[in-house]
Amino acid sequence: MAVGEEMYGFVSGPLVLIAFVLFVLGLVIQIVRFFRMTRKKDPVAIPVSSPRQKDVDALRPPEEVRKKVRLRGTVLRMEPFMAVVTTIFHLMLILTPILLLAHNLLLEMSWGLRFPSLGEGTTDILTVAIMGFCVFFFLRRIFSAKVRAISTPYDFLLLFLVFLPFATGFVAYHQLFAYKIVLLAHVLAGELMLICIPFTKLVHMVFFFLYRFFLPGEYSFAPVGRRVWK
Amino acid sequence: MIKIKRKPFQEIVEAIQGYSNILNVGCGGCASVCLGGGQKEVKILNEELEEYFRQQGQDKRFVAYTVERACNMDYVQELDKIAPQKAAVLVMACAAGTQLIAERYPDTPVFPAVNTVAIGIDRDIGLYEERCRACGECVIGYTGGICPVTRCAKGLFNGPCGGANQGMCEVDSSIPCAWQEIFERLKRQNRLQDIMKIRPAMQWRNQTQRTVIQIGYEERYMQQE
Amino acid sequence: MSATQDTGIDTAEIKRVLSQHKAQIKFCLAVCAHCSMCAHSCFLYETRGQDPIYMPSHKMINSIGYLWKKRGKVTPRELRGIGDIVWKRCVLCMRCYCPLGVDIPFMIGLARRICREQGVYREYDRP
Repeated sequence: MAVGEEMYGFVSGPLVLIAFVLFVLGLVIQIVRFFRMTRKKDPVAIPVSSPRQKDVDALRPPEEVRKKVRLRGTVLRMEPFMAVVTTIFHLMLILTPILLLAHNLLLEMSWGLRFPSLGEGTTDILTVAIMGFCVFFFLRRIFSAKVRAISTPYDFLLLFLVFLPFATGFVAYHQLFAYKIVLLAHVLAGELMLICIPFTKLVHMVFFFLYRFFLPGEYSFAPVGRRVWK
Repeated sequence: MIKIKRKPFQEIVEAIQGYSNILNVGCGGCASVCLGGGQKEVKILNEELEEYFRQQGQDKRFVAYTVERACNMDYVQELDKIAPQKAAVLVMACAAGTQLIAERYPDTPVFPAVNTVAIGIDRDIGLYEERCRACGECVIGYTGGICPVTRCAKGLFNGPCGGANQGMCEVDSSIPCAWQEIFERLKRQNRLQDIMKIRPAMQWRNQTQRTVIQIGYEERYMQQE
Repeated sequence: MSATQDTGIDTAEIKRVLSQHKAQIKFCLAVCAHCSMCAHSCFLYETRGQDPIYMPSHKMINSIGYLWKKRGKVTPRELRGIGDIVWKRCVLCMRCYCPLGVDIPFMIGLARRICREQGVYREYDRP
């Protein structure tokens, strides 16, 4: 039993710190790499007088029409279901562990930091929802022809990697069985996922923002702060 | 490549006013590259038109289809299964593509939803500059790679007019004077003698439709004697 | 489609071009989450019966992705396959949507460049 305690002490102590350090360091390295591999875009002079609002308005449909077709060609219009599902999934994925009461109590105990938390019932529902989404993505990879066409075992592995901390967390919270072992597995799974984020495809957690905000493109979010590949 | 721009909304509305079942054709070539008439623009226009006519109390149906290149019959043929059943066809390709579609379906009214503006370059996302007017008599070899037909408001062939002001055009002070740029570039390359000779004016009089027969392909289309 | 049946493939040259854009290729392939959200932005995917082989990501992964994975060591047959993808299944209309911002057209363009340099290109004067 002593070995188990020691193991638990290490996994929930120093290893947490190691995981966080690797996670943050990995992300910093990736961000630095991105900025080193890109450069500021040369400024572009507009070769004619900039258009005036009233000239632009004359080309467009009337205001009442524009109000109704706001989503003009965005993915929210083209694939509304998947756009909503993935957005909710990703938001929940990031927010649930941060707003979980048990996590924040641990943080307060060890580092004295107090973060806002959601009620335990709420996070429990969120966890179930995340697991549900994972199952949905799993089934989608198998049954949707277009997703199947580009799926590899690696994609399933990553999905499982994301699923695992939530599943073990759920089982541990409800103390369904072998609490100690499940809790240990939960902490390990969480640490594994954190460490994997910067070094696997999960790196899209930061690249999503780097690509969509810093590189120019039809679908980029920010027209300013543009960079191009060196 | 060719740069197109969507026509003012009201103009499109007026063109299709009398038809209720409409096919909107996009082009995956130049029209798509310049963000003027690809699949996305076709879908957006359809949505806007549907909503507009709905608000006007008219029920019109729009179908979208994007072809690989509207300027080639092999691809335009794909529309055979849809176009003939439609009351009218809107086209978001260049005027060449639009005319080929009109030729293919002579019984169907075909309307352009875009203006074909220029042969130009991509300066930025959605920002394009005209560089060629397809005059058919290229002179940029002696004007330092700067086209006086396109870039000089007056299309002058022998130096600037008197209206250039501090390197800018008198027509619009935000446009650089093409001849100033031609002079600077040739000077930089030590080729000023290239513009010392008087060049004859463009042969504008034979403004018949031009056909391009690519070098090496002439034999195929030579007249039998 | 013509190919280099007699001359073989200049792997070193392919490698050189790949390494020229190493950073971008690696980043793009690393970020592509195989999510398939790009599918509907391709008009060829839409007009060819939603066949997954027209999906932008599918084309990217199986062209430049394959060349990268093999470090340029591809057989003439494989290169012709890649040529079919980048010349016949893509018109480079530049309009692929990627939620993660991957520049798919650039990747396809790069694969086209490699194919062209190795003699695999589309001949429009032949059926």
